[in-house]
Amino acid sequence: MKELPASERAPFFGTYEKVTLGLLLLAFAVPFLTRNPQILSQSNLILIAATAALGVYIMLRMDLMSFAVPAFMAVGGYTVAMLGIRSGVTDVFALAAAAFLVSALCAVPLGWMILRLKGVYFVLVTFVLTEICQLLLFEAGPLTGGSNGLVGMPSVTVFGYEMYDNSHVLMITAGLAFVGFLIAAVLTRALRYEFAAIEKNDVLAESLGLACWKYKALAFSVAAGVSGLAGFALVNMLLTAHPTSFSPLSSVNYITYAIVGGKGSILGTLIGAAILVSATEFFALRGELSPGLYGLLIIVMTLVAPGGIMGLAENFFRRFGKRDSKALETKVAVQSGSGHS
Amino acid sequence: MEGLIATGLIGISLGSQYALLALGFTLIFGILGVVNFAHGGFYVMGGYVAYFCAAIIGLPYPLAVLVAVASTAALGWLFEVFILERVINDHQATLMVTMGFYLVIATAILVIFGAESPQFDFPLQGVWRAGAIYIPYANMVVLGVCLAAIVGVYWLVYRTNVGRSMRAMAEDRPVASALGMRTKMLFPFAFSLATGLAGLTGALVTPILALAPHVGDPVLAFSFLTVILGGLGSVSGATLAAFLVGLIEAYAAVYFGGSKGALILFVLVLVILVLRPQGLLGKEARRA
Repeated sequence: MKELPASERAPFFGTYEKVTLGLLLLAFAVPFLTRNPQILSQSNLILIAATAALGVYIMLRMDLMSFAVPAFMAVGGYTVAMLGIRSGVTDVFALAAAAFLVSALCAVPLGWMILRLKGVYFVLVTFVLTEICQLLLFEAGPLTGGSNGLVGMPSVTVFGYEMYDNSHVLMITAGLAFVGFLIAAVLTRALRYEFAAIEKNDVLAESLGLACWKYKALAFSVAAGVSGLAGFALVNMLLTAHPTSFSPLSSVNYITYAIVGGKGSILGTLIGAAILVSATEFFALRGELSPGLYGLLIIVMTLVAPGGIMGLAENFFRRFGKRDSKALETKVAVQSGSGHS
Repeated sequence: MEGLIATGLIGISLGSQYALLALGFTLIFGILGVVNFAHGGFYVMGGYVAYFCAAIIGLPYPLAVLVAVASTAALGWLFEVFILERVINDHQATLMVTMGFYLVIATAILVIFGAESPQFDFPLQGVWRAGAIYIPYANMVVLGVCLAAIVGVYWLVYRTNVGRSMRAMAEDRPVASALGMRTKMLFPFAFSLATGLAGLTGALVTPILALAPHVGDPVLAFSFLTVILGGLGSVSGATLAAFLVGLIEAYAAVYFGGSKGALILFVLVLVILVLRPQGLLGKEARRA
């Protein structure tokens, strides 16, 4: 293939990746701006949710909808809890590396088994996988503490400095989220053509010489590793690893964040998590009505905005940002944006 | 020996319930190509409508069951026509709306009836015994109704024109609609038939097992298991697999205890999916 000169090549990171990573860097500033525990815990939840939803986002690049995120979060979270409680490891870099690597390694044999499945079969098998993981957490008492979970996680240390209070926890979460998003952005940008080929038509891609299994396996393990980081962040926030933190139905939430946010770009995952987690918090004021309102929101968003929140925003800017450009262009763009429901 | 037989009977009775749920689930998948995440919601709703009619209004129990079936079928019809139909060709969107609808149903039930599980007993008490084998009359009635419903679904799917059109739709939707099968009528019909079956199961089974707003969650997982095992979209596969799942669950619960039965089932399903992704009786994997 002929290399284009540097000036004509598309930059490695698109605008969305840059904006996303920039927003995540801003999250580091939150603990310096406020000590309000409400805002701190809210930001914490959003960042963890967004990191977890990345696992869904990466697999959606290849048109595979994964329910396996909580399973790998559990692997990452329990790895960290065991290292912290049983072996006394508290260094954040060692723990993050362990959370990522153990989850990613677990994904290799599982990926070998299930990545040949597509469409609904993949959805069902990842759901089953998460159910198995949940049952195993309860059954493997000596290892996982069974229904008591693993309690008494020590606070992690950064270069020997102990991170114990709310704002410190948020710093750790923001760091993990940034690393997770960076890994996901690099992966999805570096392999964007391969993923796009697999998403459009993997049989054709295969017959043109693309070794699909290689890319699928790589993406599945990286997605698992990133989920592991999210599991670490969650365990670090709660200071316990408990099976209910990784319930199979929570995978529904992560899928919702990625899709309602807009599955087309990595920014959609962050925006989706931010808006939906805030919405959950807001609905919580309504008490028991909360899940129903959330369900209603999902239905309405799916019906009115097939491209998610990002799709809506893009349409909006296309329509109003370029008033002076040809009317026809706008019309075509709007139609192609919303016409494929 | 008696223990083996008694456990087997429990398994068959469980299997007949799973068969009703899985039949609906597999009909929806086969005909509409939709994975219905709201299936457990219709099961719970069936249970609560029957409870409301029988225990609060005071209707006779069989009538209450009929009301439960009618109302879940009607809600399924409305949901299909007004919401699902708009996104029917986008499998991610159908997942999202059915998941959202499950949350809506579960919340509605929680708000109307409260979180505590109400006192709802099967009207027929007592036990039939032969030697060391005891079977509650309630289980026998449920088994009978479930078997009758299964036969009814088979008759509908394999012996009537509606059933033939439905199977044609499942086989090849573009060709079937080109030949004049009306999707606008068949889709809502199939969906409401399936949700009605879920409602029937809920109305029959919740008085024996338990009635609470959250009892739909495991139903979804077991419907998944059954249809994966039997082959997505396969009616006979779902029936066979449902009895298999019921028997395994019953024997594992008696001889291993705890959640080992579920664990065995899930692992079995994972193995089957890997070795034979189309399921026990499924034909070719459908792309959806």
